[in-house]
Amino acid sequence: MTRLRMVSIVLAATLALAGCSSSGGDGGSSDAVGGSGGTLVVGVTSDPDTLFPWKATQFQAVNVLGLLYGTLTELDKDLATKPSIAEKWEYSDDAKTLTLHLRKDVTFADGSALTSEDVKYSLETIKDEKTAAVAAASLAAVDTVEASDPQTVVLHLGAPDAGLVASLASVNLAILKKGSTEAELTTKANGTGPFTLGARTPNQSMTLEANEKYYGGAPKLDSVEFRVIPDETSVVAALQSGDVQMATLDDPLVAKTAGGGNITIAKTPQLSYHALQLKASTPPLDDVNVRLAIQCAIDRQQVIDTAAAGEGQVTGPITSPLYKSDPQARPCPTRDVAKAKDYLAKSKHPNGVHLKTIVSQGEYATSVNEAQNLKSQLAEAGITLDLEVMEIGSFVDKWVAADFHAAVALNGGRPDPDTMYGRYFTSKGNLNKVAGYHSATLDQLFAKGKATTDEAARKPIYADISKELEDQAVWIWLFTGNTYTAMTKGVSGFTPMPTGSLQYLRDASVK
Amino acid sequence: MTALRRVRTHPLVRRVAEAVATLLGVAVCVFLMLRVIPGDQITATYGTEAAALTPAQREALRSYYGIDRPLAVQFLGWLGELGTGNLGFARRTGQSVASMTAHALPVTLELAVLSTLLGLALGVPLAMWSASRPGALRDIVGQGIGLAALALPSFLLGSVLLAVVSRYAGYNPNARRYAPLFDDPGLNLQQMLFPTLVLGFALTAPIMRTARSALLEIEGQDFVRTARGKGVSPGRIRVRHVLRAALVPIVTMTGIQFGYLLGGAVVVEQIFSLPGLGRQVLTGLLQKEYAVVQSSVLVVALGFVVVNLATDLLYRAIDPRVRES
Amino acid sequence: MTEASTTVLGAEPAPLGGGGPPPRRARGILRALLANRSGAVGAVLTGVVVLAALASYAGLTPFDPVAQHAADRLQGPGGTYWLGTDQFGRDTFSRAVAGAAGSLQVAVVAVAISAVVGSAAGVLAGWFGSAVRAPVLAVTNILFAFPPLLLALALASMFTRSWFTIAIAIAVVYVPIFVRVARGPVLSLRETEFVRAAVVVGMPTWRVLLREVLPNLLPVLIVQVTLSLSWAVLTEASLSFLGLGTPPPAASLGSMVLDARVLVTIAWWTMAAPGVVIVLLVVGLNLLGDGLRDVLDPRRAVR
Repeated sequence: MTRLRMVSIVLAATLALAGCSSSGGDGGSSDAVGGSGGTLVVGVTSDPDTLFPWKATQFQAVNVLGLLYGTLTELDKDLATKPSIAEKWEYSDDAKTLTLHLRKDVTFADGSALTSEDVKYSLETIKDEKTAAVAAASLAAVDTVEASDPQTVVLHLGAPDAGLVASLASVNLAILKKGSTEAELTTKANGTGPFTLGARTPNQSMTLEANEKYYGGAPKLDSVEFRVIPDETSVVAALQSGDVQMATLDDPLVAKTAGGGNITIAKTPQLSYHALQLKASTPPLDDVNVRLAIQCAIDRQQVIDTAAAGEGQVTGPITSPLYKSDPQARPCPTRDVAKAKDYLAKSKHPNGVHLKTIVSQGEYATSVNEAQNLKSQLAEAGITLDLEVMEIGSFVDKWVAADFHAAVALNGGRPDPDTMYGRYFTSKGNLNKVAGYHSATLDQLFAKGKATTDEAARKPIYADISKELEDQAVWIWLFTGNTYTAMTKGVSGFTPMPTGSLQYLRDASVK
Repeated sequence: MTALRRVRTHPLVRRVAEAVATLLGVAVCVFLMLRVIPGDQITATYGTEAAALTPAQREALRSYYGIDRPLAVQFLGWLGELGTGNLGFARRTGQSVASMTAHALPVTLELAVLSTLLGLALGVPLAMWSASRPGALRDIVGQGIGLAALALPSFLLGSVLLAVVSRYAGYNPNARRYAPLFDDPGLNLQQMLFPTLVLGFALTAPIMRTARSALLEIEGQDFVRTARGKGVSPGRIRVRHVLRAALVPIVTMTGIQFGYLLGGAVVVEQIFSLPGLGRQVLTGLLQKEYAVVQSSVLVVALGFVVVNLATDLLYRAIDPRVRES
Repeated sequence: MTEASTTVLGAEPAPLGGGGPPPRRARGILRALLANRSGAVGAVLTGVVVLAALASYAGLTPFDPVAQHAADRLQGPGGTYWLGTDQFGRDTFSRAVAGAAGSLQVAVVAVAISAVVGSAAGVLAGWFGSAVRAPVLAVTNILFAFPPLLLALALASMFTRSWFTIAIAIAVVYVPIFVRVARGPVLSLRETEFVRAAVVVGMPTWRVLLREVLPNLLPVLIVQVTLSLSWAVLTEASLSFLGLGTPPPAASLGSMVLDARVLVTIAWWTMAAPGVVIVLLVVGLNLLGDGLRDVLDPRRAVR
């Protein structure tokens, strides 16, 4: 075989393989400008990892699916619950029956109208364990679902659940057409959201087309393209060259350097919180004095400054705006090493403790720097963090198995405090093993909060929960970071949300 | 010698048998390695939410992902599917790995071919220039360039190039959606421009160094001295006689580097958003897409083995002395 | 795959024909090395970086590489901070030097392990018959067929992240080279007169290998070690760049480049510092390898 022949073979192979190179209408120029709205190109670092709303946990998947699929309720920019597919609802007097009245003008992408049958199917299938739906536990209080007439759904609850209506806003509880399966929806999306799924090249780009028949009013944009640029720095380069008009940036440093010129950065405090989780069920952390020693030895602002270059706000347990915890309401709101040493001396381990601490690397920008700073601060009080840095797969394995004394974690927040912490800090909560703490006091308070539907009455209950969590130093809550939404000039009408949701793309337009 | 024994001991047959055994070994290794790495499809899909799954949900998922079967069964199942041309499916998108690979392979091939050509176009003339007067200034400069190309990491060069050009010139073809070669050759070649520059420059080093050593070694040999003694012009000698004789090591080195590029220049693909094979494997590894990683690595290994086989044969064809060893 | 494919990852083809003059004494070698141009430059460059790295181990850097000086973030070179500061206010020079130490540490351990394991396997495969040769070559071929960076990635992901597990991952990738490099000469050495004589006389095998074969292998191995060191530095940097290398805050040249990507247009020194160190180290090691090759194996010297 001569060299010439080898080269010809390689060329022929390339030609043959390149022949099948295009897929579904993605060839040609990427920026289609036509109609009043135009196309907005959003730079993202990865593709959604699933197109099935009931299993979506990845940030990107949740955001994209939130634009394709509708839910019974939704959150506004202040995270208050508002009507969506359900235009109004009411509880019975004993709070054990929730009646939802559905809109008449909701249609699926395939044209069929949404009725109570679809809602019943969705809620029941989510509850079914075989579906392995992420939000199955949110419907734990629901005993039966009744579709009394095409526009009305009645939920019969085993016990009152005040957080239920807010949790219905999650895309994990999206309403799918009766009979939909994961396999179908993975290849052909069929939702009620403001956008429908257009062309898609997996791991490269995904185009959403405006849904003219959307019940909230057709979006101003013609389409939105989510373009995968795997590297956040390359996303910034794309913003600067104007090829991408919007992006959500995680890393505060990247956000800092991206601003300027024709790029504006909108900073939104996140609902998710950075914390040093402690496992109070295992010695030495079963001793509250040890935990309080840890709490008193940490200057949270220093953690923010060293790990996140100052970009963050000190926080208490509850981060949702309506129920926000007061970060000063804790035994040690500021660092007091002397007091920490006191607590430690009073404990069963006066000579100091070693804590096996797991830290993930590569999942979010600040994890390892936070861990390092915490380690050096705690060392001064005689508390040693034995850090185990690992990639996310190992970290998740250990976290799920609760195989740690402490964990440096970034956990997601929810608008409703019951949905946020009920599963962690009640004795029957499905994440209690990981949380490592429960008490009769907390069980009572959570039950009370769940049963109280009146907003004003709920606030003091959750303030009490927050105080109890801090007084017992159950975990060390550190700070909330920011989401940075970068937009080029010409993008208007978009409001970033603390949850990171992109739902207001339906109001956005681009020149 | 009987016909059967001739077939059995024929070097080509032996090489092919070796290649098949190697590929099988790669298959076993990649299969096992993926299962040793912590995390599985469930934790990859659910993340920390996996802690909230009930045992019944877990069972349903294990059976859905097929991980409730014993490892050996899973392995043989995969091999069996490979035999029928079914490379498996990506869990997240439902896409077949065969189709994913068929789209990623041309990207990597194109990048490999272009970079190799650039490396040759820069490396060989540089080597000839350098070798024409060994030890002189031009040799030092030539070798210096070769060394710089070797030492400068491709990720550094690539990052700087991308950042500077997009910021100051507003030029960033890689931020547009990737354009396959036959859909939009103009955009495609622009998107290949910087990656090729970066990789081609990196390739210049080994090619240049091999070529230079080979050229110098040959220049000292008898047949060259004879030609010079006969009065053939130095230029003609250099190109027609020396270079041709030096082709063997140059081609061998080029073949090997090309084979490595087939593995995908992962870092360059990452920085310039090229949807090639290297990125497919890296992303698959991070997302615990077992089918994707297993089958893609096997395809890459196949490519590498084929290229090596081809270079071996080339080597033998060009240099009869090697045939006997 | 033939001997020629050892040229992958910086290995050079083994000399044809076996044996050679017995190795010269160490002092003689050093003098010859410094007289050789590549060797001298290489030794100086490598020496400078190694000394700086050792200084960082002894804590002799101008500033503590991990200490943050919040008020002095992103300052340019010159002044208190010789090469400026990064986004956390850490001294770039100290970090670059500490990074060199970190990268060298991983590279040295990785190459040491792969050289010992690989050469031992290669010698045994070359000396003994097909019973040993076949499995060794099979494993070598398999490792060769894996794309190197991906192999290192997969291996690094299997364990808790630490500089040592990264070194092991890189070592596994480099073992095949040493197997190849060691095996070739052994095959021809086996047939030389003095080795045959030793066997005939009844010298035990281990003695023959140790006293007759190994000293003749050393030149090739030493050259390969220096070349592999340079490649190991680059591989470690690439892994760190992909976020899968030595975990912070341990400074590593690759992760410095990773952090600097964001800053390159506003703080060029954060990219230049690790880049220059990498170039110095890799160029130095390569030149040193060239020089060593010229000195230890003059038949292959190309001057």
